[in-house]
Amino acid sequence: MADERKREDAPGREDAPKRAAEPRRERPAGGMGRRAFYLRMVASSIIRRRSRMLVALLAVAIGATVLSGLVTIYYDIPRQMGQEFRSYGANFILVPSGGGGSLSAAEAERAREYFPAGSVVGIAPYRYQTAKINEQPFMVAGTDLAEARKTSPYWFVSGDWPESAGQALIGQEVADTIRLLPGSVFTLTGAAPDGKSFSRDFHVSGVMQTGGTEEAFIFVSLGDFDGLMGEGAFDVVECSVLAAEAELSAAAGRIAADMPGVAPRLVRRVTQSEGTVLAKLQSLVYLVTVVVLLLTMICVATTMMAVVAERRKEIGLKKTLGAANSGIVSEFLGEGVFLGGLGGLLGGGLGFVFAQMVSSRVFYRSIALRPALILVTLIVSVLVTGLACLLPIRGATEVDPAIVLRGE
Amino acid sequence: MSLLELRGVSKTYGNVRALWDIDLTVEEGQWIAIMGPSGSGKTTMMNIVGCMDRPSQGEVRLGGVNISQESGKNLTAIRRDKIGLIFQQFHLINYLTALENVMVAQYYHSLPDEKEALLALERVGLKERAKHLPSQLSGGEQQRVCIARALINYPMLILADEPTGNLDEANEKVVLGILRQLHQEGSAIIVVTHDPEVAEEAQRTVVLEHGRIARIIENDKWNKWNSVENSAANNEENGKGGAADA
Ligand SMILES: Nc1ncnc2c1ncn2[C@@H]1O[C@H](COP(=O)(O)OP(=O)(O)O)[C@@H](O)[C@H]1O
Ligand SMILES: [Mg+2]
Repeated sequence: MADERKREDAPGREDAPKRAAEPRRERPAGGMGRRAFYLRMVASSIIRRRSRMLVALLAVAIGATVLSGLVTIYYDIPRQMGQEFRSYGANFILVPSGGGGSLSAAEAERAREYFPAGSVVGIAPYRYQTAKINEQPFMVAGTDLAEARKTSPYWFVSGDWPESAGQALIGQEVADTIRLLPGSVFTLTGAAPDGKSFSRDFHVSGVMQTGGTEEAFIFVSLGDFDGLMGEGAFDVVECSVLAAEAELSAAAGRIAADMPGVAPRLVRRVTQSEGTVLAKLQSLVYLVTVVVLLLTMICVATTMMAVVAERRKEIGLKKTLGAANSGIVSEFLGEGVFLGGLGGLLGGGLGFVFAQMVSSRVFYRSIALRPALILVTLIVSVLVTGLACLLPIRGATEVDPAIVLRGE
Repeated sequence: MSLLELRGVSKTYGNVRALWDIDLTVEEGQWIAIMGPSGSGKTTMMNIVGCMDRPSQGEVRLGGVNISQESGKNLTAIRRDKIGLIFQQFHLINYLTALENVMVAQYYHSLPDEKEALLALERVGLKERAKHLPSQLSGGEQQRVCIARALINYPMLILADEPTGNLDEANEKVVLGILRQLHQEGSAIIVVTHDPEVAEEAQRTVVLEHGRIARIIENDKWNKWNSVENSAANNEENGKGGAADA
């Protein structure tokens, strides 16, 4: 700041010829900085001309609202789709019956016989046990990975499914917590139910997103699981069966009668068309987002063009007072950025309300607030407004200072 | 070295000759009035002298420097440093207070300084109105803000294009009083006016007609200390302008 006080050091002044007689060159100390006055000018222009600026602000805010609302929904649809798709997978599960029931591998295999021939897509047994990575506890699941892949087609795996012993598929949440990527190695420690402690290295073959609680789990093959924990009964067996509900109910009745330690349950699932609708909706939202972005830009650009046209005299005057083109540009850009910021903030908040309304009406679900999205809306809004301002502002620099005396 | 020298200055807009072969010299501290019917080229001349426009032909020297063919960027810098402008329509920025309007000129010149701007307003009798917006000020008050703004950077030349054209008589007197005081303090002033009363205050009145100098009138009131070295040139210009028009 100190060097700003010397007039000759001010940027862009080198070309100013020296004055013959100088009554006083230095402004007394205690003057405010150029930046402070710049902000004062920009703020005054917006606050004292608020009725004019309201139109532009409204355009930016509405654009930002629709934008952030749609993006929220856009990113939320896959999550909701995951939940819908979940029902595609298992539609029939077996759990140990209450009161000391247990579920053995033989029983799980026998269940296959109760369904019509060729109707079974997959039957995946699961065992669960907690173990630790770096002293942090996680749930480890042992399963027949090939079968799990059939019963859970909605799992989105980045990397590969485990193919050999010593490989693990980990949920996104686990990956985030201990920063693991496909290819990383981690050490699983803990104690088996019989008290024997273990410690073993696993390779991460893939990271998995499901939109459900599985994201907090580590999946390994049944062989590896039994190796760590010792052999034992299954906690749950998930079955995916292509059969009508009546047939499934009949099968459930027979299983319950034949195997007293096992409790069969039907899981409801939605039709495939619903999932297709969701996918189509997502691409529609994407399209609308782009269109809204363009419309907002056009609206802001038009408003700024009117603002510049209306202020030609003011621009001319500032030039007669010695404003350089860069000074004029930075003032208008400052106003644009301020508008974009305020509009973006408003729009980010309102957009969430909008998305929440749409989601609860259309999907009957609520959406979680994402602060990052509000930040992104703010940045995009500032950028879009700034970009939309550039063209009109270029026109502003072309104003001839001679118009001021002529009074046009 | 004269403060301002115009040598054979012409300005044409298409086929319109707004100014035609103007020769004029203004010394430091001189007060010049420019009169003439509407369309005679007064504003065109002010725009050229004020570095807002370039002559089509001829030479303009301001403080000894030839500015007639400078680039727009350099003209802006010269205007910022040497010229103070007063307008008939005041041209205050409507969303800034009186004080801020004065500070804008400081801002573009070098550094805004509230205290100094307030002193300038005090000088034109508007200290109490510093926080008012232009819309809350009368025409006379707005013109005084405009004058305070024109003075704030200590210009070597003050240009006023019909500064009292939009003012009533009382305000005209106030504005004239301020200009008179500036002149006494040594500022050079060129004022365009239709009002003989305003012209009377000046040392010389240049009368423009159809873009040419028709005559130059020396004001008797000032004669006692009218500089001798200029009178020859003035007579010459006077004769030339008169002959062309006769
Ligand atoms: N930008 C321009 N384009 C074309 N003609 C102009 C322009 N500015 C001024 N003129 C013409 O130049 C002449 C002088 O105008 P001006 O200097 O404004 O006169 P005054 O200020 O004495 O009334 C007029 O005939 C006017 O129409
Ligand atoms: Mg005029």
